Amino acid sequence: MTPSARPQSLRSPQPSRRVLLTTGSSDAHTWNLVHLQLLLEEHGHSVLNLGPCVPEQLLVDTVGMTDPDLVVFSSVNGHGHQDGLRAARALRADERTRSVPMVIGGLLGISPEGASTRAAELLDAGYDEVYADGTPPTALLRRLAGLDGACRGRAAA
Amino acid sequence: MTVLAPPPTRPPTPPPIAPGDLGAFVRQSADAGELVVQPRMGMAGPGDMARGVAAVAALPERTVATLTIDSYTRVGDHAAATAALRAGRPLNGFPLVSHGPRTGAKVAAAAGRGTPVQVRHGSADPMAIFRTMTAAGLAASEGGPVSYCLPYGRTPLAESVAAWRDSVQFLTEESRTHGRRAHLESFGGCLLGQLCPPSLLVAVSVLECLFFVANGATSVSLSYTQQTHPGQDAGALTALRRLADEFLPPAVDRHIVLYTYMGVYPKTVQGARLLLRRSAELAVRGGAQRLIVKTETEAHRIPTVHENLTALRIAAEAARGAHGTRLVAGTDAEDTYAEARTLVTTVLALSDDLGTALLKAFDRGLLDVPFCLHPDNRGAVRSTVAPDGRLRWTDLGALPLLTTSRRTVPMTSRQLSGMLGRVARAHDRLGETHPTPDPAPPATPPPTTAPLRVAFAGMGPRGLSVLERLAARCAEERPARPLEVFAVDPYEAGAGRIWRTDQSPWFLMNTPAQEVTMFSGPADDGPHRPGAGPTLGEWWAQDDPAAAEPDGYAPRAVYGRYLTYVMARIEATLPSWVTVHRVPARVICADRTREDDGPDAGAHRLRLDTGDVLTVDRLVLATGHPLTELDPEQRAWQRFAREHSTPARPVRYVAGGSASEMPLCHVPAGATVGVLGMGLTFYDVLTELTLGRGGTFTEGEDGLLYLPSGKEPRILAGSRGGVPLLTRGANQKGPEHRYRARLFTPERMAELRATGAPLDFERTVLPWLLAEVNLVLLATRIRRFHGTAAAEEFTERAVALLADRSDPRPRLLEPLAAGYGYRVDPRPLTGLDALARPFAGRRFGSTAEYHKVLTEWLRADLAEARRGNADGPLKAAADVLRDVRQTIRSVVDFGGLTPDSHRWFLAEFGPVAAMVSTGPPQLRSRQFLALLAAGVLEPVGPGARFEADPVEGRFAVESAQVENSWTALDVLVDARVPGTDLAADRDPLIRGLMVDGEIRTFTNAAEGAGEFATGGLDCTDAPFHPVRADGSVDLTTHVLGIPSEHTRWFTQVGSGRPGPWGSFTRDADAIAEALLAGGAA
Repeated sequence: MTPSARPQSLRSPQPSRRVLLTTGSSDAHTWNLVHLQLLLEEHGHSVLNLGPCVPEQLLVDTVGMTDPDLVVFSSVNGHGHQDGLRAARALRADERTRSVPMVIGGLLGISPEGASTRAAELLDAGYDEVYADGTPPTALLRRLAGLDGACRGRAAA
Repeated sequence: MTVLAPPPTRPPTPPPIAPGDLGAFVRQSADAGELVVQPRMGMAGPGDMARGVAAVAALPERTVATLTIDSYTRVGDHAAATAALRAGRPLNGFPLVSHGPRTGAKVAAAAGRGTPVQVRHGSADPMAIFRTMTAAGLAASEGGPVSYCLPYGRTPLAESVAAWRDSVQFLTEESRTHGRRAHLESFGGCLLGQLCPPSLLVAVSVLECLFFVANGATSVSLSYTQQTHPGQDAGALTALRRLADEFLPPAVDRHIVLYTYMGVYPKTVQGARLLLRRSAELAVRGGAQRLIVKTETEAHRIPTVHENLTALRIAAEAARGAHGTRLVAGTDAEDTYAEARTLVTTVLALSDDLGTALLKAFDRGLLDVPFCLHPDNRGAVRSTVAPDGRLRWTDLGALPLLTTSRRTVPMTSRQLSGMLGRVARAHDRLGETHPTPDPAPPATPPPTTAPLRVAFAGMGPRGLSVLERLAARCAEERPARPLEVFAVDPYEAGAGRIWRTDQSPWFLMNTPAQEVTMFSGPADDGPHRPGAGPTLGEWWAQDDPAAAEPDGYAPRAVYGRYLTYVMARIEATLPSWVTVHRVPARVICADRTREDDGPDAGAHRLRLDTGDVLTVDRLVLATGHPLTELDPEQRAWQRFAREHSTPARPVRYVAGGSASEMPLCHVPAGATVGVLGMGLTFYDVLTELTLGRGGTFTEGEDGLLYLPSGKEPRILAGSRGGVPLLTRGANQKGPEHRYRARLFTPERMAELRATGAPLDFERTVLPWLLAEVNLVLLATRIRRFHGTAAAEEFTERAVALLADRSDPRPRLLEPLAAGYGYRVDPRPLTGLDALARPFAGRRFGSTAEYHKVLTEWLRADLAEARRGNADGPLKAAADVLRDVRQTIRSVVDFGGLTPDSHRWFLAEFGPVAAMVSTGPPQLRSRQFLALLAAGVLEPVGPGARFEADPVEGRFAVESAQVENSWTALDVLVDARVPGTDLAADRDPLIRGLMVDGEIRTFTNAAEGAGEFATGGLDCTDAPFHPVRADGSVDLTTHVLGIPSEHTRWFTQVGSGRPGPWGSFTRDADAIAEALLAGGAA
């Protein structure tokens, strides 16, 4: 179903991480997800790609079950801000998923205005980092490299 | 007439085309050679949304307005959408369901009547959206069970297919119930937007439209998205069109819609514009009829209204620039066609139910969308952008295709983002070196584009005929100025007074339904519209199949309904630059604005009986049948009735006009009623007083029998000739039949007029007309016994004999015809009077004798009528008078005759010609005989004289040629059609114009030959401007139809004929042309 099982990147000094890739419950776009999956896989990480339009409960349940090292929320439909807030609140409200690391990036509002306010709100809701549109994907790789501790959980992915 | 069957069981009729029908609009634009452009546009608030819709509709381009639904509504999360609305949080679209249908309808109304509105949503389960849409009066949407499921969400495909099946059925049925036609566009031409080889896009688009059709849709569009290679794209559009024509049922309305590139968009303004322009050019080259644009800010944010407008105008400009660059199919088209066809047929073979077939296809990987993450998509196929820029399969997975391309190594994220961004980069780069200028500012329209305002005083058949041509011309070519039309008529627009739809069903037309049309061209595959629509017969058969007799004579109320249908079709299909306002009022006075009134100086100012004032640039006078003052005799009769009427024995005088307006229900049963005149109005009165009173006709052994209801009065009819109109011959000619005269030719008459005008009709013109009539009479007799060849031989010999003579006497033909044997009656008609005045000079000893002779005469006439208007010699000959009517007009109109001859022509020839050639259908003559036999109808006799008898205190009638025919009357019904006499016109508009000298009556005057004051409105030849009292011509007014009677001849024609245009349509078109030309000045 996904472009997985690609060759591991030859240059992957960092430990392999397990990434849950998700998007907003109203976001139907997938190229960002396909691209991120390929990129992360090429750099040696394993990826579970939830695909488009991810309801909060599905996200919470999946995180609860798989206990990923990082939740990457990527959205480009302009509702990323609202959807992202709801996703974060849902994750933070659930015992099992309260402390999972998570980042968000993409085109988060319907216009560039108010981007900093939105970022602050998102950080406040529990994201560890908010990537503005146009941030090079290497930032995500750095974030993964900088994660504390060993790979979380068992090698499930 | 009455149809008792409930609407659902009515046989299928083509869906009514409501205003703003998307399919019809696109087709019409395509016919006009214009690409329809459409934005994606959705704002959260209704005010913003309405302003956006209005702005799109107001563009001079052919646009479709869009309500793009927000993402929450799309996935069915209406609570989130409503919450966002309440909190004032922005949404990426218009939450239609949260706003509800009333708000939705208001927003959509901002588009006006002419611009279609489409709802674009992206939902895998659109039922809630469709419900709100239909309740809001909207019928156009898009999507599909595959294209709105797989790429865009996580709804299981099976659920999406089921939801779409129900939703499409709902939308189509609900729309149909409300008189609209649902339109569905497949989004299958997009899928993930990028990296999908064209064949799959084309196949899914075709399959989804077939799915729509299977679930009730009758109007669909097939989509395709601009990809990476212009040649491949144009080929794909060609393939899509071919497959659509191959697989969709012919009756389904369809068009091709192209989406401007849907992938990563250029970041620079110039790059974005270039890509947009190329998509518009591609649309034209590939034969797409509609384009959905992208804006130059696509890469950055949701565009503003202004950015959308700019994009629409750039696209429309580019499309116009590419006009005529239609692609010739090449290998790209062939490749895509072959692959897509294989995919389509493979899927169709999986199940009789297309929904099931689609599910099986995806389950087996026979359809498989590359890079799609949906769990129901197999995800086994891969594709790439080949070095030449074309999209290619690199891994076919289980697709049922053969390809030469080999499996390749997997794509890396860098390659992927390279391919995804390829188009954007290329255009950003090229845009720098090839900038697109800003489109010409739309801004405030300059004064020259202020609309040309045209008022129609009267919107009956004549007004409608002009409006039809006006709209047809505007649809073909955009006029220099927008057009604003005011259809002023106190009666229903289209039908007017005479053809009111609420009149008695007994009143019939006088022309077979299939010979009547108000459309200036035949119906085609497209929606009924100006220039292409059904004849009355065709329409009637569809509208009321149970009652319709298309080859018979329609009730006048039916024609009225047809006329209102034509009016509605005109309104529904108007291009955006024409608006039509119905003004249910009467113009009571017209004058001009003052010279210092600024831009409106000199415009027509029309005061309406509603108190409103209309200011317009052009006026079309089409006021129809006049209401004239009674003449002195009529006034005296009216006074007499008033003075001598007592409650015990009422005496009434019913004045002329239309029978539907006469208070015939007040005529008491058993009263003695005199009917003055035995023309068409007489038949209306007769029918209303018999059939309308509950009497019935039944077939007897010897013709019809009348079974009275007992409520009939006694009807005494009288006229000059003492006979009813001659019966119309059974029609044996097709509706488009035209007789080509051999002797009474337009050329000969033109020459006569050119060399000898003013002419003496009786001496110079009538002989040729008689010669033509006799030519047909004798040739038809000869054909009956000796066949067509002999008849043609006779015709040639007769023409050779007479053509070069100055005096083509009928007698000359007798020896020629006598040569065809004893069975052929060689005697020609020496004059029309022989037909029309059979009892001239004859005396009858009693009313009974007259009735006996009259019965025999009418039976003989009926026998002639049954022989038909082609095979029956007399009726074929009589038909000549109808067929050459226009040639007669060309001699007579606009002062072609001397004053004396003109007077004679109107007083003598006109009635005789009417007797012979405008008669009723056989049924009416048969009813006449039955009523006569039943004693209900008692014709008085030739030379009937009606009078008021002061001794008796009642009216009375007597025939000068029938002994003891004097009879007293309780009621006198004047069934003569009032002649046109502007001086006696009661219409305050006409009176005022006369008093002001803006119009005058036509006086035929010749030097030394006296004068003839005709009473008709003096006007020029086409385009028929009225002549003022001072002789100047009013170039901003046109006059058509009955007010100009006498100046022109036989204007009482309320319909066009199918086939080549007759004068009815030509006259209308001439005015339409002049109106538009005047608007350009």
